[in-house]
Formats: sequence, structure tokens, C-alpha cells
Amino acid sequence: MNRRLFGLIFLLGIVFGCKDKPAPTAASASPGPSGSGAPTAEKPKPGKELNLFAWSEYVPQEVVDGFSKETGIKVNYETYASNEEMLSKLLAGGTNYDLIQPSEYVIEALVKQKKLAPIDWSLVPNFKNIDPKLKGLPHDPENKFSVPWMTGTVGIVVNTDKIKDPIKGYKDVFQKKYKGRIVSLNDSREMVAWALEASGLKSNDITTENLAKVKPMLAEWVKLVKVFDSDSPKTAFLNGDVDIGVVWSGEAALLYQNNKKFAYILPEEGAHLFIDSLAIPDSAPNKVGAMMFMDYILKPEVSKLISEKFPYTNPNLEARKLLTPEQLANPASYPPAGERETFRDIGKISSEVDKLVTDLKASN
Amino acid sequence: MAKKLSGMRLVNLLLGGWSGLVFLFLYIPIILLIVYSFNSSKMAIVWEGFSFKWYTALGHEIADHVSGTKRSPLVESAINSVIIASIVTVFSVILGTAGAWLLYRYKFPALRSITTLVYIPMIIPEIIMGISLLIFFKSVSLTLGFTTVIISHITFCFPFVLIAVQARLAGVDPALEEAAMDLGATPMKALFLVMVPYMMPAIISGGLMAFTLSLDEVIVTYFTRGPTSETLPLRVYGLAKVGLSPILNTISAVFIAVTVALTVAAESVKGLNK
Amino acid sequence: MTPTAGLPDTQGAQRAPGLRGWLLMAPLLAWLGAFVVAPTLIMLVYSFCDRDELGQVVFTFSWSNYARVFDPTYLKILLKSVYYAAITTAICLVVGYPVAYWVGRAPERVRNKLLALIMIPFWTSFLIRTYAWMTILKSEGPLNSLLLYLGMISTPLDILYTPTAVVIGLVYSYLPFMILPIYGSVEKLDNALVEAAFDLGAGPVRAFSNVIAPLTRPGIVAGVMLVFIPAIGMFAITDLMGGARVPMIGNVIQNQFGQARDWPFGAALGMTVLLLFAATFWLTTKKDPSAT
Repeated sequence: MNRRLFGLIFLLGIVFGCKDKPAPTAASASPGPSGSGAPTAEKPKPGKELNLFAWSEYVPQEVVDGFSKETGIKVNYETYASNEEMLSKLLAGGTNYDLIQPSEYVIEALVKQKKLAPIDWSLVPNFKNIDPKLKGLPHDPENKFSVPWMTGTVGIVVNTDKIKDPIKGYKDVFQKKYKGRIVSLNDSREMVAWALEASGLKSNDITTENLAKVKPMLAEWVKLVKVFDSDSPKTAFLNGDVDIGVVWSGEAALLYQNNKKFAYILPEEGAHLFIDSLAIPDSAPNKVGAMMFMDYILKPEVSKLISEKFPYTNPNLEARKLLTPEQLANPASYPPAGERETFRDIGKISSEVDKLVTDLKASN
Repeated sequence: MAKKLSGMRLVNLLLGGWSGLVFLFLYIPIILLIVYSFNSSKMAIVWEGFSFKWYTALGHEIADHVSGTKRSPLVESAINSVIIASIVTVFSVILGTAGAWLLYRYKFPALRSITTLVYIPMIIPEIIMGISLLIFFKSVSLTLGFTTVIISHITFCFPFVLIAVQARLAGVDPALEEAAMDLGATPMKALFLVMVPYMMPAIISGGLMAFTLSLDEVIVTYFTRGPTSETLPLRVYGLAKVGLSPILNTISAVFIAVTVALTVAAESVKGLNK
Repeated sequence: MTPTAGLPDTQGAQRAPGLRGWLLMAPLLAWLGAFVVAPTLIMLVYSFCDRDELGQVVFTFSWSNYARVFDPTYLKILLKSVYYAAITTAICLVVGYPVAYWVGRAPERVRNKLLALIMIPFWTSFLIRTYAWMTILKSEGPLNSLLLYLGMISTPLDILYTPTAVVIGLVYSYLPFMILPIYGSVEKLDNALVEAAFDLGAGPVRAFSNVIAPLTRPGIVAGVMLVFIPAIGMFAITDLMGGARVPMIGNVIQNQFGQARDWPFGAALGMTVLLLFAATFWLTTKKDPSAT
């Protein structure tokens, strides 16, 4: 082995080792006043860097760049592909993140464990743009900890070229005649929720008895599914491998944009709403910067950029005014209004839910 | 005599044919990937038409990034991945080769246990390794960043080198080393001038494996990275949600084309094989 | 009397380590200690803990996690994972050995290039490669189109999202890790021995089984280890190419740190797999490591 080459690479190693000496996460004088204290007369200064921990591709690069330009704060955008991934790194003691993007039931759990920092609304005046119907929900009843980012539903997509029968609910999807042509989210909690709703129970009513009640129905359903996919269920549709399924509304919207033959139907037995929001972990080094970011993305013109990339339901009413008629007409992005439940934190029984679906899958 | 020769030649021909088929098998998805890099649709999986647009887009992105005009996370993560993988390979090769040699040279009661320990990073599920390394780094107050990623990668890469070199050492003729020392070489010289060249094919195999493993690792990297140390596979995983963009195929196609060209064109690097 | 009987005994090179030996081994031992043993111990501790609402550990001692490991579902899943790993290893061995042999006997100047060319496809992202395979194998994909065009089939083959697709994906991913270690052993084969076998009248089959295979055995064993062991824990390929219909032990463990919110149980499962391996390895390895 060439010694000179080795020495050079060794040096490179040291150089890169030095590259990540702790970034200046030293928040300024006052890292964000707590909710209970009186707001200071002088505007608190943010730190120089912001560690954003969010869903991949949920934050368009233009938004990040725009924020940096306006405030001079450098944004480090780290990504994850599921709530659980985010949670596991956060809890295992990851880098101090300033912003995370949990779904509603995770926020509930984090609030219970006192892991979120309350927001000082004086720094986030644009919060007024958010749809009032999305405020005061069970996971954050006093609107202390979160700013809605995008909301959506979970519903049925049908390739109307292939399937002409009317599809109204979960029971219509999971029929023997569609065996091998169905896609489902790879999410045990979701599947259990659908089974509960199809059985006339509430989707959050997860108890051992109820799990036993829906087990036979779920067992049948699992046998009929061709693909389980939470990351990109649209792939199976676009490849022509499935004709019907239950997926996230964002996926459905992308399918609809691709071809209007992909219809989106909200199950009549009951559909739930999900809300992904921005929240600030308790250990965040740059809380002020985080709140500034929240205010920034609540601006209508910025929120519009997010909708363009991600056709979920935009919670920002002012931003909705800026969307094109075509975007607003997408039935998956803006379904008919209705009372829908959100997921609550179910705590430890989540492991029973997981075991149930694992069992059913394994016995196939 | 002619019978034997043609027999061997036939066998060689068959082996060559089989190997050709296997190479084809290995490159089929690559060929598809290259074809789809010319896809005009913005979702990689749906073919819409032929277009160079992703190549021009990538070209612009690279140019902008290199000239400092506009930072491209995609290009940056690709560069990070290659640098990390290179450093990891060097250290894995050193650690693995030295380890294999020492475990071959010395005999002591704990030998079997140590060998078992070497296999552990291969069997341990990645998520467990990722989380436990994260906890470990936190407990020794090591900031997450390139260093932690490199350390984690070395940990699961070097066993591959070690095992490959060990296999090469098994059955080596000890006379090889003895002869060198008989001729006046010091043990160190004998090691470097005789044994290392002997081990070289396995070192190269191991090095290639280590590089590959590091370049494409996701789960452990996810847990041990810092906010500024993104790698290409992590980036790709994120993009799957919106639908893999053909630009990923483009960057892969370019990468493959460059590496294959370099490989084929390279002068025979070492005469150390024999 | 096997042809290899006359080859020198390899034990002679070993001796007990003196101070110098231990010093030389120190970096290896230190690395193992810090980054393998320590994290494993952390997980071991976790596996005996209880969990809280978020799934994290609460430090109270309990055997309950290990008791749950022995639930028939999980044992069945573990067996299935081992089964898939075994099939993959077997196919890789049969498919890969001839390639390793051919590369090993190729002219010197091309050997390293060939090795590199074998690896280069795997320098693309796993996800991209796998999606490429899915595109090829799907019912409207090139493979089916080709077979339909050639008239070999009348309706598209249902390959994607079946175990067949999973095995294809697995073999594809692990093949280089079988070829490269075997190459290491093949490369040093003395041509004279092979020719001698032919001279003595052995056909290719006997030459292989009596001469080549035993001499390349360490490489074969290494290849098997480097494929079989990682393959047991794999889950991403079943998720993508198998449509996530069949859970593997890797999936189950992943879920414990995810949706199931049960880190201690995940740790226990992981530990069990690890211990099973360690025990098997320990018992099947003789104290003498050079005779693998």
C-alpha cells in the first residue's frame, strides 16, 4: 500500500473529523421565552443555525433557501421517512433538533412526556392564517405546541378504467373479486383503524377486546392484498399491478395529477384526518430561530410553494386563495368537508396492534 | 494431449460463457436505469418519452454547486458518500488485514471469542446497531457528524475484509515466510514484502466489498449522522416518497459510466498479484 | 489418499502472543471493545428492561421480553428468514463459483478490473436498483413483454410481489459477496495441480470435486458466511420486491423500534438472533482457527 497515499487519506480523515466540531448552536442570549413568562420588550435573537428534522421532501428547497436569505440563519435539513424513525432518533439522543414535524398522535405522546417546548405566539403572528377548524384539536387543545404543516386523509383510490363497480367504503375494497389487485398502506395501526371503522367502532377505540373482534375481518383482508406499501403506494398503481387500494391522500393526489382515471373516495364507514405539524423539542438550542421559521412558512406565498410540491390539504386559508383552480379541484387534495377524527396516542397497546398484523401476515 | 487441452479449453469456454451471463444479470437493472435516465416524465417509473433534460439539469446543478453559485444537496451528498466510503475502505482494509494476520499468527484461548466478536456487526440488525451506536456516542459525548458515520461504517465493513483475508491465509505455506527470513529479511520486511503481496487479492476483494457496503448504507448512517453530513443513499430514500425522480437515474448512470470507464482504461495497478 | 494430503501442515505458523503480539492486537481489540462490545452490552441491558409509553426503556429487570421471543409466530418468522437466507446462499454459491473461478484464472492484468466490474453495479443506490428490478419484473414490464413477444407465454407472468421476486432480488444483492471471497482462494490455485489432475485422467467433475473444491474450501466457507449471515437480517428486499407481505425477522425487529413502540422487546429479539448465531459459530468452529 502506497504510504504517501495512505498518509494523505489519513489527513483527509482528520480534516473531516474536524469539520464537525460542534456547530455554533449556542443560542443567543435568550433562546426563546417560555410560554408562561411575559414577552420581553426587546425581540429575542435567534441562533445562527437551525436544525430542521422533517419528512423527506416535505420542505421544498426553495422554502429553506428563502428562509435563509431572509433571516441569515443557516438551515440544516435532516430527513426521515416515518414518524417512528424520527421518534427513535430523537429519543435515542440525537443531535439537538430545533424543529420536528410529527403527526398529531405523536405530538400528543410527546406532550404527555413533556418533550415539546411551548410556542411564543408573539413571534409567530402568521398563525392567524390557519384554518380555525384545525385549531384546538385533541392533540394540542390549547394550541401551545404545534403549527399545522399539511393535513390529509386516508382514503380509497380506484383505477376507474379497470374497475367500474361503485366503491363506497372499506368493505367494497377488500372483496374476494379484487384479490391480488389491492394495495394497502404498510401500517398496522392504519389497517386496524379501517377494520374498526368498517365494524362500526371508533378508530381510536383500540382495546384488546376490539382487536379480537376485528381480527377475523383483518385476516381476510390481509389475504387479498397484493402489496403493502407506505412509502410509495402510487408505484403499484402506475405500474398497473393493482387497481384499487387504501392510501394517503397525497399519493392519491399525485395519481390524479398523473391521470384522472384514478378516483379518490373517502370511505363511508368513516375516514380519519391526519395533521403533520411543526413542533419544537424541549432540548432545541435555537428555539427563537425555530419560531421564526414557523412564521415564515405560514406566509401564504411560501405555503403555496409547499402545496405545489406536495398536493396535500393546505391548512393555511390565505395560501389556499393563491392556489390554481386545478389544484383546488383535485378531489384528493381538497375532499368534501366533513367531521373527521384524528388519531389519538394509543400508548402501549401499539405493540399488540403490531403483533396482530404481523401474525396475520406471517400466517399467509 | 490434444484431448486434455481441448477439454480444458472447452471448460474455460463454458466458464466464460456462464460468467458472461452472470455479468449480464448484474448489469440488467443498470441498463434499465440508464434507459430511464432519458425519461421525460418527472416520475422515474412511468416512461413518457425520450429526453436529455435530466442530463442538462444535472449538468447545471453540478456546475452551480462546484462554482459555488447554488448549493446542490444532491451533489453534496454524493460527494460526501464517496469521501466517506473511501476513508472507510482504507481503515477497514488496515484493520481487517491486520486483524486477519494477527488472528492467524497468534494462538491463544480467547481466539475463538474474538473471532466471534468480529462476526457480530454482520449479524446484528442494522437498526439495533444504529440505535446502540447512537446511544454509545451520546454517552461518550461524541458529536454526531462525519466522524461518527465513518466509525460506524468501519465497524461493519472491516469484518468483511478480515474474513476474506483470513480465507486467503488459510492454507498458506509457512515456508513462504520462513524462506524470506532465511534470506535475511526481518520479520517486518517479510511481512510487508512477502505476506502482504500474498494476501493482496483478498485485500482487494475485501476493499471492494467494504467500499460498496459503505457507499450504500442507510440505516446505521441515519442514526449516526449529524445535520450536515448527508449521504446519497439517505437522500434517495427520502425522494422515494414523492416518487423517484429520473435525475437519480441520471446521477447513477453518470457515476457508473465514469467508474466503468476508469476501470477499463486504468493501467494494471499492481504487479503485486504474484 | 487425497491429492492434498501431501501439502504442508499449516499449523506451524502459530505461536502464543508475547507482549509484542498483544500490543499489535490492541487496536483491533480496542475497536471491537468500543464499537462492538459496548453497544451490544447496551442492547443487552435494554433487552431486560420494561418500556414506557413512548416505547423507551424503563430500568426495571424483567425476563418477559425473552419469554415473548419464544412465541410461535416469531419462531416461525425467524425460521422463514433463515430459510430464505439459506436458499439465497445456495443459489449464490452455484451461480457465483464458476464466475470466481473464471476471474481467478483470467490473465493477471484483467483480474482486478473484472472484480471491480462485478462490484460497480452496487455503487448505485439500493433503492434505485430495486426499483429498476421492479420495473423489469412487473406485469407490464420488459421481461413479460419480451416473453409475450417471443410467444413463450400467453399471459404475463406474475413474478413481482411473489417469493420468486424476493429470491431474485436477494441473489442479485448478495452475489458479489460470494464471488469475491471465493476469488481470493481460487486465485492462488497452482495451475500445475489442476493440470496434474487432468494429466492423471480425471474428468472436469472429478478434478473439481477432488482437487479444486477442497483447495478453495476456505474461500467457499468465507463466501457462505458473508452471504448467509447478513441475509438472515434482511427485510428491505421482501418489503419492496415481495410487497411486504411476508414479514422477516428483520421487519419484526424494525417494527419494535417503530410502530410497536417496544424497544426492549426489539432488543431482546436482536439479542436472541445474535446469541443463536454466536452459539452456532462457537460450537462449529474448532479451537484451531486455521482449519475453518
